[in-house]
Amino acid sequence: MRPEIESLLKETKAFMCLDCGKCTGACPLARQGGTYSPRMHIARMVYGYPDEVLADMDMWSCLTCGLCETKCPSGVEYTDFIEEVRAMSAGERRGGFCAHAGMTHTLARIMANDGENQDRLGWVTQDIKTAETGEVLYFVGCLPYFDTIFEYIKIEGTGIARNSVELLNKLGITPVVMKNEVCCGHDLLWGGDRANFAKLVKKNAEAIKKTGAKTIVTSCAECLRTMKLDYPEFADFKFEVKHISEFLSERLNTPGLTLKAFDGSLTFQDPCRMGRHLKVYEPPRQVLARMPGAKMVEMRSNKDNSTCCGTTHFLNCDRVSEGIRKERFSEALATGAKTIVTACPKCQIHLKCTQSNRMQDEGVENLEITDFATVVNRHLMRN
Amino acid sequence: MAGNVLVIGAGIAGIQSALNLADKGIHVYLVEKEPTIGGHMALLDKTFPTNDCSICILAPKLAECSDHPLIDVLAYSEVESVEGEKGAFKVKVRRKARFIDEDKCTGCEDCVRSCPIKIPNEFNLGLNMRKAIYIPFPQSVPRVATIDAERCMHFTKGKCGVCLIKCTRGAVNYDQKDRVEELDVGAIVAASGFQVFDPRELTEYGYGVHKDVVTGMEFERILCASGPTSGRIVRPSDGETPERIVFVQCVGSRDTKHSRPYCSSVCCMHSTKEAMLVKEHDEHIETCILYTDLRAAGKGFYEYAERGKRDYGVRYLRAKPGRIVHDAKTGNLDIWYEDTTTGHVAKMSAGLVVLATALVPSTSTAKLARILGVELDENGFFKSPDSLLRPVDTTRPGIFATGYCEAPKDIPESVAQAGAAALRASKVVSGVTA
Repeated sequence: MRPEIESLLKETKAFMCLDCGKCTGACPLARQGGTYSPRMHIARMVYGYPDEVLADMDMWSCLTCGLCETKCPSGVEYTDFIEEVRAMSAGERRGGFCAHAGMTHTLARIMANDGENQDRLGWVTQDIKTAETGEVLYFVGCLPYFDTIFEYIKIEGTGIARNSVELLNKLGITPVVMKNEVCCGHDLLWGGDRANFAKLVKKNAEAIKKTGAKTIVTSCAECLRTMKLDYPEFADFKFEVKHISEFLSERLNTPGLTLKAFDGSLTFQDPCRMGRHLKVYEPPRQVLARMPGAKMVEMRSNKDNSTCCGTTHFLNCDRVSEGIRKERFSEALATGAKTIVTACPKCQIHLKCTQSNRMQDEGVENLEITDFATVVNRHLMRN
Repeated sequence: MAGNVLVIGAGIAGIQSALNLADKGIHVYLVEKEPTIGGHMALLDKTFPTNDCSICILAPKLAECSDHPLIDVLAYSEVESVEGEKGAFKVKVRRKARFIDEDKCTGCEDCVRSCPIKIPNEFNLGLNMRKAIYIPFPQSVPRVATIDAERCMHFTKGKCGVCLIKCTRGAVNYDQKDRVEELDVGAIVAASGFQVFDPRELTEYGYGVHKDVVTGMEFERILCASGPTSGRIVRPSDGETPERIVFVQCVGSRDTKHSRPYCSSVCCMHSTKEAMLVKEHDEHIETCILYTDLRAAGKGFYEYAERGKRDYGVRYLRAKPGRIVHDAKTGNLDIWYEDTTTGHVAKMSAGLVVLATALVPSTSTAKLARILGVELDENGFFKSPDSLLRPVDTTRPGIFATGYCEAPKDIPESVAQAGAAALRASKVVSGVTA
């Protein structure tokens, strides 16, 4: 066995696999047909056929949503396994099919190599307060780019950023927003491009250090996971990283803050990065439930069993991804909720994209899909 | 008298140990925390691999314990402290107040019939109700009533008193207090058994959310003629007969992630038995066992599983589901799995899902180990200083462990090991070095 394969199997506990198949039974991709089987990938690697696995295009279909891993009785770390395998196979010039002509990956690579000349603050208007230095930093992520790329499906984009900053302002915080921020690198890391990911980490780590920030707040589940779990592996990165929902849930009792009534029922779409990757399930629910009149209803699959939005790292968005989202919409419709709240801009993009497909179950077109920061900011009042 | 032996826990292992010791002429105190002796075996419908009626073969042993001149059955009692050493232990036992004079009560149940309070019945695992004054099951030993003071209106609200009036023998005594008795014993046999793992934490299986997902132990009661449905196989949600029953193996067992790496050792067999019994009740119900590895290693076990396939039409599929969800349209449960022999992914619909839940050391085992001053192993079972050649010894001389609390095992093995523990204990009290 090649040493790198042996260490991969040890580090991801793949040797512990019982070959029970629970992972595949839990996998949202496997339900949509095709041949996807996490069990088979592990088995083929363990039984000594690494090149078969490295060449398998299915490796690029995995959502790395972590459902199989959460359910695995042996604790096999399948998402890390996929990340490693992609890094290995990308080196051999293999790769998945990037969605949207690879635009997000290309942008990230541009930022990694020559990213200083962006107009990142065009959305910051005079009515919101931001700073260049301070203890709390708001990490904007891809939102300004999404405004342009996904205009055709009416993405909230920098609206989410504005709402997040306004929320922080209402808490009495003037957050740092960096003009030289670069992409967090999430999509490159999970797409096997560690070299460019490392460059992004370095740039962000240095820029953040200069602001004097101690806490990083983000409205994106992918930025959250990446900076919380992956940055410390690549750089000296000792900041507290929080999703805006966590940050807010800890400060809801701040004097002078009140929540206006929300008329209707809403359901929460757990982002895989925030939910299963970081086990943050309750804070967004706690905040949303505090709005008087808001009726929180859960989809059939929720929290650790939640089905993700069907595409991650903008790879392999296809019939299967659409199928997963349609399954999710039918679950959402069954709750009777009028609003799906997301806590990751990518969930919003993918759900809205499928929603825009006219071949839909009745009622899908009327579902409101909105971000946590948007809905909460609309209802949070400061006396 | 240091020639006594204390047996703690009166399931099949403790009962068999007590009988073996008493038959050798050694006096035994048989302590049980529940109101009746019998343990889990009293809850089972049938036993594998012979399909004998469980209570029918157990009840004579319960009666024998009760009638044996050398066995003192101390039910509804708990060991509080153990002092001294091998050959001369001083043990304090709390005799919990039943609020019933055991000598006067005849077990006529006049009191039970008139009690107005209904609470979930532990003996049927909460699938039906019992009264606040109760006798756990018809073959209970001792066959006397017990008042559940936490639920009885006399104790909670200072009202009622119907049982006091109805009892013609004057056995009801609301003023009865716990008593602590001190026993002198030379050796101790711990037989504190197991408890069923609560599968709620495995949220993907929906136990506690969907009524038609039950544990194997609950299904034993559903199968049993003395159970909550009088042996009719129905799904708890609506009382309808399910078209298919699916058994899911290794639920919580062989789970290194949650520190239960061991095989519970009895589930492949009890699910096979339960699937056979389903067919005996109603041949039209389909049964399917989703297993990880079929572990049928005991005497006659493989043949038993083969019989299930051949004579009963039980289907075995090597798969472990990852998702069980309720289908609102059909009222059935959809089970998603991968057939690991072919890689085929599919959905199976079932009216009832039976989870072969892990059997774990009972919480009373951890407490007991502290009181006894003995060590437990990494999985919470009693630890032996030499598991090869002295498997029933614990880390403290003069104290032995037998049955499921020592390691996962089935009834025949528990009975055999009970004999071994009895022999080891008898050597101590006979003055021979253990």
